[in-house]
Amino acid sequence: MSNSAAGDLARMCHGIAVRLPRMPEMEEVRANLARAAGQVPALKSLRVWAEPVAFPAGDARSARRRATELRRAPAPEGPGLRAVFLEYADGPAELVIVAHRAVLTRDGLRGLAGVLTGSGGPAGEPPTPAGPPAPAQDAGARTPAWGLGDPARAGRHSAVALGPVRASGEELVRAASLVLSRYTGGEDDAVGVLRDDDAEAERACVGVVLSERRAGEEYEPCAAPYFPLTLWAERQEDGTLRGECRFDEDAVAPEIASRFARQVARAAERLAAGLPGAVEPDAEEIAELLAVGAGAPLAGHAPTTIHAAFEKVAAARPGAVAYTGEDATLDYAELDRRAERRARALRGLGAGPGELVGVCLERGADLVVTLLAVLKSGAAYLPMDVRHPRERLRATVEDAGARIVVAEDFPPAEGRTLVRPADLDAAPEAGHADGPQASPDDPAYVIFTSGSTGRPKGVVIPHRNVPALLAAVADDMRLGPEDVWTWFHSAAFDFSVWEIWGCLLTGGRLVMTPYWVSRAPHEFHRLLAEQRVTVLSQTPSAFAQLIHADAGTSADLAVRLVILGGEPLDVRILKEWFADHPPARCRVVNMFGITETTVHVTAQTVTAREMVERSRSVGGALPGWTVSVRDPEGRPVPFGAAGEIYVGGAGVALGYLNRPELTAERFVDDPYGGGRLYRSGDRGRLRPDGRLDHLGRLDNQVQLRGFRIELDEVRAALVEDPAVRAAAVVLNEEGDPRLDAYVVPAGPGPAVPAEIRGRLGRILPDYMIPGTITVLDDLPLTVNGKVDTARLPAPSAGAALVEEEPAPARGEGPAAAMLEIWRRAFGAPVSLDDDFFELGGNSLLAIRISAAMREAGLPQITLRDFYLNPTIRGLEAAMTTR
Amino acid sequence: MRLSGKTALITGAARGLGRACALRFAEEGADLALFDLGGDIDEVPYPLGGADQLEHTAELCRKLGAAVVTATGDIRSQESVARAVEAATDRFGRIDVLVNNAGIVAPSGKDLHEVDEREWAVMLDVNLTGAWRMTKAVVPGMLPRRSGSIINVASTAGLVGYRRFAGYVASKHGLIGLTRAAALDYAPLKIRVNAICPGSVRDDPLVDGRMLVEIARALDVPVQEHEGTFAQGQPANELVEPDDIAAAALWLAGDDSRRVTGAVITVDGGYTVR
Ligand SMILES: NC(=O)c1ccc[n+]([C@@H]2O[C@H](COP(=O)([O-])OP(=O)(O)OC[C@H]3O[C@@H](n4cnc5c(N)ncnc54)[C@H](O)[C@@H]3O)[C@@H](O)[C@H]2O)c1
Repeated sequence: MSNSAAGDLARMCHGIAVRLPRMPEMEEVRANLARAAGQVPALKSLRVWAEPVAFPAGDARSARRRATELRRAPAPEGPGLRAVFLEYADGPAELVIVAHRAVLTRDGLRGLAGVLTGSGGPAGEPPTPAGPPAPAQDAGARTPAWGLGDPARAGRHSAVALGPVRASGEELVRAASLVLSRYTGGEDDAVGVLRDDDAEAERACVGVVLSERRAGEEYEPCAAPYFPLTLWAERQEDGTLRGECRFDEDAVAPEIASRFARQVARAAERLAAGLPGAVEPDAEEIAELLAVGAGAPLAGHAPTTIHAAFEKVAAARPGAVAYTGEDATLDYAELDRRAERRARALRGLGAGPGELVGVCLERGADLVVTLLAVLKSGAAYLPMDVRHPRERLRATVEDAGARIVVAEDFPPAEGRTLVRPADLDAAPEAGHADGPQASPDDPAYVIFTSGSTGRPKGVVIPHRNVPALLAAVADDMRLGPEDVWTWFHSAAFDFSVWEIWGCLLTGGRLVMTPYWVSRAPHEFHRLLAEQRVTVLSQTPSAFAQLIHADAGTSADLAVRLVILGGEPLDVRILKEWFADHPPARCRVVNMFGITETTVHVTAQTVTAREMVERSRSVGGALPGWTVSVRDPEGRPVPFGAAGEIYVGGAGVALGYLNRPELTAERFVDDPYGGGRLYRSGDRGRLRPDGRLDHLGRLDNQVQLRGFRIELDEVRAALVEDPAVRAAAVVLNEEGDPRLDAYVVPAGPGPAVPAEIRGRLGRILPDYMIPGTITVLDDLPLTVNGKVDTARLPAPSAGAALVEEEPAPARGEGPAAAMLEIWRRAFGAPVSLDDDFFELGGNSLLAIRISAAMREAGLPQITLRDFYLNPTIRGLEAAMTTR
Repeated sequence: MRLSGKTALITGAARGLGRACALRFAEEGADLALFDLGGDIDEVPYPLGGADQLEHTAELCRKLGAAVVTATGDIRSQESVARAVEAATDRFGRIDVLVNNAGIVAPSGKDLHEVDEREWAVMLDVNLTGAWRMTKAVVPGMLPRRSGSIINVASTAGLVGYRRFAGYVASKHGLIGLTRAAALDYAPLKIRVNAICPGSVRDDPLVDGRMLVEIARALDVPVQEHEGTFAQGQPANELVEPDDIAAAALWLAGDDSRRVTGAVITVDGGYTVR
């Protein structure tokens, strides 16, 4: 019998306490029992206890004693039955009988009481106890996903009051089912029902225990909660139901249980009154859900434009360095002056409020100056990544209707003015123009996001959102002139909005990270150390690689704040980081955000505690922002229940550029008074303390052989594996559909797919086990640093479950070893003069190759070496001349 | 209440430290199965716990609100032990805490070559083997629940020597050995086994204490001044109180000590660290 089976015993037991005017003579009781045992042999083994209680019957201590007796399961071995007479100090007595439900029904309990007290049961004859129960089999009582229970409290239970409810038992059951379906999104509304004479009930997460109140006896329907969440209701003389909501604390949190009970009570009364729509949350519940999901108000912050906020900082500290890069160093005054000049030139070309200026420049001083210039001109900027395919760049500009594009090199397009930064700087003063200023409500930038389906769409963010974002976090994060920020991300990814304006609106120094450095964790680490960077923004995938690099060096970092965003975080990756960078010295904040709501929405400071708990919390809404979790009809779902995350408040975008229908679909007015909301398409659940758990994308559910599978769930299970550091899972629909998994080994030890698969088998049902598991050195990342599922290699066929062998380090010179490493990296033989990039090499492959070379004991090569010498012969020469 | 919902079986509960523990546990909401000899042992030169004393302990505990069952028997008898455990399980369904407290301090007061076979055997049979017997009977009921706390009341005589007490010292050293071994046996099953080593405890009339006076007799210390004499031997110049032992037992019985097993806890006013 396991621990839970021992708990099951109490679950399966019920009991009654029958009030007696005085203690009967025990001899009489025994004689009564002996007589009955003549007819019912099973009663022979019943032992009757008689005990004095030191307090009057009405005393609270007597009540506690009675309750303890009623909830004390009989011995596991034995008749499954116990009878105790309690004699109270003031004369009256009580007979408490507890039995396994399979041994005696409630009528049986009453009958036995009659037998023992000689008063005859209602049935008039002794009850017939069934044989002792077989040890209970745990038929899979499930832990509700929405329960938010605390696993550390396994084996404990607790209760909150239920009722009085003016409804029938049947209505209570129906109400429980309706309420449950709000928690499960309609997936599950099966509610167990246990009545007084039932030996057992269907196992379910939620169940109703219905009891009849009978005069002169107290009834305890189960010595421990029968269902993980048990609504026990007893019909009272006045016709109402009254009872308790009892729950296992490891399955359900008290905050959830009490609300669940209240909702059921209310729904039952509505049903009783003949009202439909019992699934509608009531005004009070909605008010609470919305209030808890809202961040603090943004006090004392007046809407402003990005450039006005910048100019204020620049005026206060003109000589402070604003920008550091390989190309230039600019102080605030110089940056302001250059941008001002360019802004006037842009105005001369027609830029101004309502206009959109495309910007497609390599990251550098020119790019920051240009972005600021566009804002100063009154127009909004449309950032584009120079590394995007030319076709996409052209389409973006056309889609957006940008008439001016600032670029060094851009595909020609009809009706567009293409201008280079130098042209703007060289424009004669005469060509400059003053013009109307942008207001805080005017667009500041338009960022195109691709999303998982459909063509990319431009998200239009007004000026005021960005200063509001800084106002929301600046105090808490203590952002200020002492800070040094990296500019790591592409301007076309809104994480850079945070990096650039977060730094420049708080007076910090922005350190430009060249593209190739952003792809080379070791180089990037060196940059962080050299530049004494204090504020670092990363996607979790990129940060995982940086942590790896960090563990291998002794270089000391000055980073005091790490902002993680852009992707779900597996807190586990932080273990190594925390070991070297305790949270007291470097704070790690996980932020959930979306382009449509201005970079960030929530913030969760991650410490060892979150790591140990494997928390999926992304924290509460930022001041000025709101979150709510809703069902497909837009109704807020209860705390704990999963639904779609809606975001409102200071960060909501103006909409999608030239896409009124899509805008109307995704940006909605809250019928509950929360203003304009963005429907994120992300799954989440709101906790009663206002923190949001992020549960992945709504559209990450796939259908495989009739099963609904949450890809994030499979990925989460993989990442739980001690041998796995990172993982990706995709649905492969070529041929026989299956799941393909990709894993990055956690440590120097091998990650053996067959073993990983074996361990997965213990956590996941068969249909969720990936068909292939491929070991990779790293997951491919998008330009934005997120896992790029499109660039995952084909699964290593057949060998999918076989481990890759370490690179051979034969003593035949570096070239021979490199040929082998390249061959394995590309999956095909290569020659000494094959060009890395022509072979299809990318930065990720380069990192993998240089890692393999390091492991094989070959000299170090950097990503830069790859770009300069893309052949094995060239690299070897570079290595030997060094 | 720190022990509400728990059931404890306490041996040697008729008086002394056993009674002190029972009262403290009852105050904290435990229900109790109390076990004692209800008679005397020929070789032991002083009266042991009587049935009336055991009933009195039970009465005091009931006044505190506890449900109590009592059982009399000799811990040297396998059958008595089994009967006591059965009575407790019948009544309460389970035993969460076992306090192996029953013990004797004499026959003593002799150098070991003067101790005879019977005297030696009875000392070990009660103080050491008795605890083993009771543990063996109780553990099977704890196993399926993966929880339980076993508390062995040893003595400073389990840690240091005392002249003219070879049998007692050997039995209490043995009990500490038993504690450590059992702690390892049951650690994976989450059953904890710990020992308490009381120093010289004042004979409190409220619990009918008489151990110290019997030690004094064995050592020919004048009975009128024995408390002062023993107190002078203590670093703090004072004796331990029965409540001090009960407090340690309460902590070991409850969930506050859930990660404590195999511990040997001295409650001796510093006697053994001089
Ligand atoms: N009192 C002290 O100063 C002191 C110091 C150190 C250790 N101890 C230990 O504490 C425990 C309790 O001591 P106390 O001071 O309460 O002594 P005590 O003599 O007052 O109580 C011991 C109880 O154990 C019972 N007992 C003895 N042999 C038994 C047997 N064979 N079967 C069943 N019951 C039996 C006795 O009847 C008695 O009621 C003992 O193990 C003792 O060795 C006491």
